[in-house]
Amino acid sequence: MPVLPRSNAATHASAAAGELVLRHLDAAYTLARWLLGNGQDAADAVHDAFLRATTSAGIRDGGNPRAWWLAIVRNCCFARLAARGRDGCNVALDQVAHEHGREAAEAWLPMADADALEERIDTLQRSALLARHLRSLPPEFREVLVLRELEELSYREIADVLQRPIGTVMSRLARARAMLQQAVNAAQEVEHGM
Amino acid sequence: MECNRATERSLYFDGELDGADERAFERHLEGCAGCRAELAALESLRGGVRAAMPREQAPAALRARIEARLRRRPAPAWQALAAAGVLAFVAGSAATAWWTAREAPEQRLARELFAGHWRALAAASPVDVVSSDRHTVKPWFAGKVAQSPLVQDFAAQGFPLVGGRIDYAGDARMPVLVYRHGQHVIDVFVLGDDEAGAIGGTRRSRGYVLVPTRLGSQPAALVSDMDDAELARFEQLLEAAR
Repeated sequence: MPVLPRSNAATHASAAAGELVLRHLDAAYTLARWLLGNGQDAADAVHDAFLRATTSAGIRDGGNPRAWWLAIVRNCCFARLAARGRDGCNVALDQVAHEHGREAAEAWLPMADADALEERIDTLQRSALLARHLRSLPPEFREVLVLRELEELSYREIADVLQRPIGTVMSRLARARAMLQQAVNAAQEVEHGM
Repeated sequence: MECNRATERSLYFDGELDGADERAFERHLEGCAGCRAELAALESLRGGVRAAMPREQAPAALRARIEARLRRRPAPAWQALAAAGVLAFVAGSAATAWWTAREAPEQRLARELFAGHWRALAAASPVDVVSSDRHTVKPWFAGKVAQSPLVQDFAAQGFPLVGGRIDYAGDARMPVLVYRHGQHVIDVFVLGDDEAGAIGGTRRSRGYVLVPTRLGSQPAALVSDMDDAELARFEQLLEAAR
């Protein structure tokens, strides 16, 4: 099939989309990684999203460009999650680099800092625990946390990414925080033997 | 006791209140220990989430792959191309060669067709032009692709035409006709001669199947999650299209 030359406008829109994708590639990968649970799927989803973004750049109408791009990434991730669900195959979640134990903390610190060490391990363990709970949240709650706490998007921008009303964003965010807080409280109670 | 201003508290915490409302809520905070404690808990949770959810760096291979693909697109001006120079060309072609060498062409085409189908399913709508009638779909393709595909509605046979879109496989723009059968969405990718030669046989991926077929006299490939019997019936309809 002979290919028609792309119009100038389409080429410009597509080049602008390419630039946007590269500028927010880390944000896209972080979101995909937290939604899909592993790096390989995340990279594939972001690449799918890039193709979609550069071919549909002409269709974008106003709004925040970063939210527009993250919306595409997010849709590509959910398509993968849906496909996974249909196949009934669970892709193993790999470990997030930040989930460290005592050995890692010791390796980082000079021995003289022994006092600080206990505190450091405490923080790391809390962090590991929180990471575990974050991974076990349903993806629609995980994504609002990534978008709000990491990307610091406004409610309006998150609503654009999710293609949902602001009210939904607010309730999901509140619910996600409540679930995490509950998990943290429960862990503390166990720790203190209550 | 739980304060009844929880919603306002969240809005305040996320910086969503405007000036006057924000000041009003701060006055409320002075007298409400419950809200102050909740805000402290939210702040601590936010710190914890940020520590537990580190911002990831996109893998270098992904970045290189995207950059290589962007460089293959037409340059804005010959000066820019000259400025970017031989270096970009060498790096770009090396990266492209590396990525393309990893897959046989028919594998790549199949992967791109599957990906196109999944992307479309994930989008708000799988079609760019909606139709229940071929007279709106066929003209839509005119000017977008060199050769408009045969467009026929098989609603009477249980496969209504939903619409069409343009998709990409590699650098080729290809028309896609979208049909529906019950809950199943069927994409018919209308292939050029180059792709037709590279399509190979039937492939399956994640519960979806890709079947090389013909749309009248044009080579095509359909992607769907229908069962084989229904697919065979649909294929016969496509091949008989005039």
